[in-house]
Amino acid sequence: MKPQLVNADTSLQANLSTKQDLFNRFGGMLLGYISEVVKSSAEAEQYLIDIFSQLQAADIRDITAPGKNTFIYLQSMARKKLASFVATVDECADVTPIVNDNKFVNLMAPEQQVVFCGMHYHGKTITKMAAELNKPEATIKQLLREAFTVIRSNK
Amino acid sequence: MIQQQYIDSGALEAYVMGSASDQEVKELLYMKATYPEVNFALQQLEVDMEHIAQQMAVIPPVRTWGKISETIDELIVRPVDNPEQYQTDKDDHNFTTGNQNNGPHYIEVESESNTMKINKVWKWVFAAVFVLGKIFLGFAIYFYLENRQAQLQINDLKTELRQLKK
Repeated sequence: MKPQLVNADTSLQANLSTKQDLFNRFGGMLLGYISEVVKSSAEAEQYLIDIFSQLQAADIRDITAPGKNTFIYLQSMARKKLASFVATVDECADVTPIVNDNKFVNLMAPEQQVVFCGMHYHGKTITKMAAELNKPEATIKQLLREAFTVIRSNK
Repeated sequence: MIQQQYIDSGALEAYVMGSASDQEVKELLYMKATYPEVNFALQQLEVDMEHIAQQMAVIPPVRTWGKISETIDELIVRPVDNPEQYQTDKDDHNFTTGNQNNGPHYIEVESESNTMKINKVWKWVFAAVFVLGKIFLGFAIYFYLENRQAQLQINDLKTELRQLKK
């Protein structure tokens, strides 16, 4: 019994330490992303708290596994958490960023902006974007790809 | 090349933005495992996403980690217990409680019970008290009867004395 208790205790402390490390590394990036979506600092902070509070030991092991991009997985968790929220807000073009202007988005062509913003901040699928813009899915994917080309060329 | 066509299709971008369907994810994982070029392109996109996030990062308020830590602290386990406290003595009774100074370690259910555990020594003490009690009771009855008999004899003697005086 003693070794199990010791292991559980040590494991909990290790998880706490890893979680704090993840928070220090990615908390700001996630908060920036969430703030862009919810447009409210207080709400964004609460979402961030919820995400890190609900992060389980298995999740931590999974997202920090070798070969995985930890931030992408954390952002994916944030997207899932924000899914119900983004369903209730207006279109991307109608809202103004409260944090600061995204220099990459500003450099994109209008169609690229709509596709990137709709998918990145509003969690829309390729199919939904294609239906909304009345364009084939291949075109939406192409616009998205071009949007990333803009980001990469302006890093 | 099929892998280049796949990279150019925009499927990787949809995946990193979480917009890919289950079928597209399966296809991507297969392509990623099969073609190193696809894996490399995906890693590049993930770095791009990270770069966008860094650009838009907002430093969390100092209190934020404190709030997260509070919710975690509620789950911290109590100090490690000593297994010896769960062992019985050689007579297989009387659980020892080695860590009594560290606060309660059990759910208090004893007060609800109608029974109690005592040391076996008390069995002999109770037996001795019972036997002594019987002996004292016997003496008490004996002396009571003796006393009553004596009182009767005294009364008889007093009656005889009065008759003689007359």
